[in-house]
Amino acid sequence: MSVLVPLILLLLALSGTPLFVVIAASAIWGFYQTDIDLMVMAVEIYRIAEMPVLIAIPLFTFAGYLLGESKAPQRLVRITDAFLGWMPGGLAIVALVTCALFTAFTGASGVTIVALGALLVPALQKSGYPERFNLGLVTTSGSLGLLFAPSLPLILYGVVAQQMSLDVAVSIDDLFLAGLLPGGLMLVALSLYSGWVSRKTERNHHPFDKTEAWAALKDTKWEMPLPFLVLGGIYGGWFAVSEAAAITAFYVLIVSTLIRREIPFKQLITVMRDSMKLVGAILLILAVSMASTNYMIDAGVPEKIFGFIQQHVSDSFTFLLLLTVFLLILGMMLDIFSAIVIMIPIILPIAVEYGIHPIHLGILFLANMQLGYFTPPVGMNLFIASFRFNKPVMELYRATLPFFFILLATVLVITFWPGLSLAFIGE
Amino acid sequence: MKHSPLRRLLSAIHTLEDGLLVLVLLIMVLLAGIDIVARSVFGGGVMWIPPALRVMVLWLGLLGGMVATRGREHIAIDLVNRLAPKAVSEAISVVTSAFAAFICAIVAWNGYAYIELAIEFGDIAFGKIPAWPLQLIIPFSFTVMALRFAIQSIEAVIKVLGKHPAAEAHS
Repeated sequence: MSVLVPLILLLLALSGTPLFVVIAASAIWGFYQTDIDLMVMAVEIYRIAEMPVLIAIPLFTFAGYLLGESKAPQRLVRITDAFLGWMPGGLAIVALVTCALFTAFTGASGVTIVALGALLVPALQKSGYPERFNLGLVTTSGSLGLLFAPSLPLILYGVVAQQMSLDVAVSIDDLFLAGLLPGGLMLVALSLYSGWVSRKTERNHHPFDKTEAWAALKDTKWEMPLPFLVLGGIYGGWFAVSEAAAITAFYVLIVSTLIRREIPFKQLITVMRDSMKLVGAILLILAVSMASTNYMIDAGVPEKIFGFIQQHVSDSFTFLLLLTVFLLILGMMLDIFSAIVIMIPIILPIAVEYGIHPIHLGILFLANMQLGYFTPPVGMNLFIASFRFNKPVMELYRATLPFFFILLATVLVITFWPGLSLAFIGE
Repeated sequence: MKHSPLRRLLSAIHTLEDGLLVLVLLIMVLLAGIDIVARSVFGGGVMWIPPALRVMVLWLGLLGGMVATRGREHIAIDLVNRLAPKAVSEAISVVTSAFAAFICAIVAWNGYAYIELAIEFGDIAFGKIPAWPLQLIIPFSFTVMALRFAIQSIEAVIKVLGKHPAAEAHS
């Protein structure tokens, strides 16, 4: 029985059973076997209402969806183009920067590809970039920016890590700081590659235009305060993540419905419903996995796995190498949110035993998962892009390949150079 | 078939759910905004807003989960649906939906027991507000999800057997 039930659950998960159901089932099975009243499931689910930081999740998701439905993406492209378009590979860099910024704000849920892809792909095409490069760039950029505040996966990692009662505190503010250099490294690496590709291709390479820059600046006057308010506020330590989320949601709602009037009431309802579907999906998984985590820790599962691994792996270098391979495979199968809530409670205690800093683990975990978004065969963004641009998935596999290897290199740097993640963390 | 009473009832339920979801989210955005203004401008927050916001997160999550169940938009490993032929993936969804219905029903059942206990002990959420009406969303949402998964499983059975049009399954 002890092997059969997990095996059946795994099979059910692979056959497309909603993951929250599989996690709930494993928790129920664990509690049932140890004669714990199953009422504990409801108690654990209610704990969602006891974590103040979770307020950020619905608010940021809603604000992100609303921004995606408004004309903010167009304005964002315009202003980045005005300020960065003159560089070699300028337009590609514009695409990378806008996608990263947009993903950070919308939580890497595929919104970036849908909202920005339609603008960027034709623009890149017109500038003479090869089609395959454009598709690859936009698909890859759909998960770029994951390491920048206020991305949802970073917040979620902080929430899960805080539940683990480690010796080292894992604050979300620290995670936001830690993501800056690794995220920047990814951005720079991809920009250099884009610059190299564009050597021969970029045709209408325009010089910096002061009038257009000023016009673009005026055009974004309502969006302009947002990054400063949120990023400045969080990085400057003026307010907590949940407060930043509250300000963002409130501000975006007022601007897009009352000031700019880009979202009519009927569409607002749809945006609200769609964004809350994602929130529901994330929070359900989080809620039930708190129950299963609780059971797993009581049963000493991390210790057992650690004991097993320790027999074969003695140094942290080998551990990190194995972890990278494991996370790459995991990232292909599991979306980032489930991966965090399911795997972190197991991996984190083991990693700490190997002397890996929890903040560094979070960054390398997310960096690996970012690759998973477009790792064939089942990376989510490959399918979103295939659907959005009406291209066969096979073509996107090929298009994203060079980007995959570049980001893989940066992921290895991030994994084996803790200093990059911990540079701004005061210890 | 489109205007059958059952269909209309279903769409009424959907509208009600959407309405509740939108209402909670709007209130949340406004309250969270007011809370920050109150704290930064007037130097003191309103006592009951932060705990109320936290409960709203739970409500939004579970209501969102209910809505996501309508179209099976939950996070899942989508290997089968992407790689297997349609007939196979439909046959598999009979089992996965039935299993999901079963698990949600267990959570719902134990959720009601939890509520009974909360009423018996007179648990307080915050201020003078009892906890149980706020917790009621747990068994309620899982009941709705269990029903939806059960209906989806039956629909899949009918599709696999190929005898009846799917529309009849909404009973």
